[in-house]
Amino acid sequence: MTSISHGQKPKPRDQQAAALRLKNNRLGMNIFQASWIMAFFALIVVNWQLRYSYAQWPPMGVQPFELLLPSLATLALVSSTLLVQRGLVAFRGAQRSLFSLCWRLAMALGSVFMVLIAREFATVSQAALATQYGLTMRLMTGFHFVHALVILCLLLVVYRRAVAGAYHGGEAAGWAVEGAAKLWHFVTVAWVLFYVVLYWLR
Amino acid sequence: MATIAVPIGAQAEQPGAEAVRRPALSEYLRWSVDHKIIGVQYGISSFLFFLVGGAMAMAIRWELLTPALDLMVSGSAYNSLFTMHGTVMIFLFIIPMWAAFGNFVVPLQLGAKDMAFPWLNAFAFWLIPPAAIVVLMGYFVTPAEAGWTSYPPLSTLFSGDGQTLWALGAHLLGISSIMGSINFIVTILNMRPEGMTLWRMPLLCWAVLATSIIAVMATPFLAGALTLLLLDRVAGTTFFDATGGGDVLLWQNIFWFYSHPAVYIMVLPGMGVLSEVLSIHSRKPVFGYRMVGLSSMGIAFVGFTVWAHHMFTSLQPELRIPFMITTMIIAVPTGIKMFSWLGTIWGGKIRFTSAMLFALGFLSMFVIGGITGVMLAALPFDIHVHDTYFVVSHFHFVLFGGSVFAIYAALYHWFPKVTGRMMNERWGRIHFVFTYFGFLFTFFPMHIVGMLGMPRRVAVYDPAFTQWNQLIGISAFVLGFSSFIVVYNVIHSYFRGPVAGANPWRALTLEWATTSPPPVTNFIDDPIPYENPYGYGTEAATAYLDAVDETFRHGGLASSSH
Repeated sequence: MTSISHGQKPKPRDQQAAALRLKNNRLGMNIFQASWIMAFFALIVVNWQLRYSYAQWPPMGVQPFELLLPSLATLALVSSTLLVQRGLVAFRGAQRSLFSLCWRLAMALGSVFMVLIAREFATVSQAALATQYGLTMRLMTGFHFVHALVILCLLLVVYRRAVAGAYHGGEAAGWAVEGAAKLWHFVTVAWVLFYVVLYWLR
Repeated sequence: MATIAVPIGAQAEQPGAEAVRRPALSEYLRWSVDHKIIGVQYGISSFLFFLVGGAMAMAIRWELLTPALDLMVSGSAYNSLFTMHGTVMIFLFIIPMWAAFGNFVVPLQLGAKDMAFPWLNAFAFWLIPPAAIVVLMGYFVTPAEAGWTSYPPLSTLFSGDGQTLWALGAHLLGISSIMGSINFIVTILNMRPEGMTLWRMPLLCWAVLATSIIAVMATPFLAGALTLLLLDRVAGTTFFDATGGGDVLLWQNIFWFYSHPAVYIMVLPGMGVLSEVLSIHSRKPVFGYRMVGLSSMGIAFVGFTVWAHHMFTSLQPELRIPFMITTMIIAVPTGIKMFSWLGTIWGGKIRFTSAMLFALGFLSMFVIGGITGVMLAALPFDIHVHDTYFVVSHFHFVLFGGSVFAIYAALYHWFPKVTGRMMNERWGRIHFVFTYFGFLFTFFPMHIVGMLGMPRRVAVYDPAFTQWNQLIGISAFVLGFSSFIVVYNVIHSYFRGPVAGANPWRALTLEWATTSPPPVTNFIDDPIPYENPYGYGTEAATAYLDAVDETFRHGGLASSSH
């Protein structure tokens, strides 16, 4: 007779349970991405509604933002996310040195992105900050920066553990690598949306 | 036709009477990843907040017994009182209360042994107590005075630090809600055992699925709005300040894009409960099962397109008619549910249990709330009664007459499963009578004073409305008193109620195909769902139910334990 006690549940051990856990993680991540991108959309709505309270955008007397550095930053981030993806494929194919190279490059490019955006954030002109043109720019880049920073740190942690061999033994065991990569893709997609809204939609 | 699933009877040995025991009360005070424990944790904490919010409602009605200020020292004190009442009831009572039933019941109904993300689930619950402390603490510093909707400039220029704490607390609650909902969606989609197809899912699961989809897609907008509010309050930005190029209507757009769908977060699970309770207690299949499941999805979808009806008086005129139309369209999926419920009980063998009484109470009250909703959707009428007690009446008919009645129905219905003991039916009926009439005479007259022009959110009113307000006040005290009857009943029944057995209502859904309370793993073996979760009244169903009874004959709560 099985005796049941209300305590810790037994940990799933077999293959099937691991596969189910991976399936759950993937669906959970997809839902999280679909959900949290809405917060970024909310800020796009903010930008959109506020720009229509001005006769022109950028408002009279405010210089439009320079395009060069933000565009370079965007390029760095997009390259970074592609490298993260390539690294993920390499990780699954057990090509450890290629994985390591891709992710190191990706994190370096990610850091370049962060530095450039931080510079943009810091150098908004006083004229722009007196209007919503500058304020919504700081709101959006700042909100994005916090996410990028946290997830870049996560990439670093996962990278170090992966190199140390923590995630070997099949797709389910490598979920952390896949999950971190997906979060970095999220950061990239969110930024590209912001980049278009902030710098191209006039 | 029916392959009689002989479900559970043929399964491996079941736990004997001695193995079925309740978790110790102390387990509810600790971190636990068991969804049944978490469900009870949600339930008890949100009911405590119901009592807190209810005490505030009593203070509001006490103040309004006379047209002048008496209980409150100032209009500002009254403002912070109703602000806190609304916030506590919505964010700390109704939304987490549905997480309580969702947590306890949904995995069992699916036949799942666990949820997809138990740790995330527990974390989502444990965010609520700190969030509640932050929100309530605000009441004791310089309180928020802007109502639960926190419109700027009331929430930026005229509220104290309590408003900042309010926004921080609401942020935490939003994160909790998103995490809990991700867990629900993945559980419902991935954790169903063999044989439990989407179209065999009980309707509560459909409703929780729709609710969770709304929560994950809408709540980030609340996060966005609260971020802006916090920045305006503490960082000197001017997003809501026209003198700095901002726009006060910005808040209303972003906030209602979350908060209108949030209305369905509060009522959709109640609609799911109603389908369960009405079908089981009238021994008839749910009329139009698939349409009811799909109408939950329909409400979730259309619910995203109606938010600006909260802003009819401040909206650009050309947008009013489109939002009026989408708002009225919501009545279609809601009407499908209404007629389905009527069709379900029509000609049924109705048993007037307490759960059934509250479900019927929901039916009668929610139809009034729904009709006043359509009235308010009509633009000319809305402008006439804008910001009057008619609106207060409407949303209390939906949120009390709807959600709270459904919460009580769910409580009487699933209490035996949670505790292994039945609730007292006599006290249940008394509770129902006090609640039903207390509610009706509290909120129905508000329609009348609203149409006569009494504005909401005021402590001092035209003496012409005094008698109406005295009727409302006295009925409100009766309604407030009624919640102590159910508290007594719950405590009494927990210790002294008759032992329930596995399936006291003879229900076909899977939460009843295990012991009461269920073991930690919910089921000893994967249960085999009956082909139709509501297929009552056939010989096959009777055979299935007999098999369940036979399986768990010895599986009841041992009468010596408590």
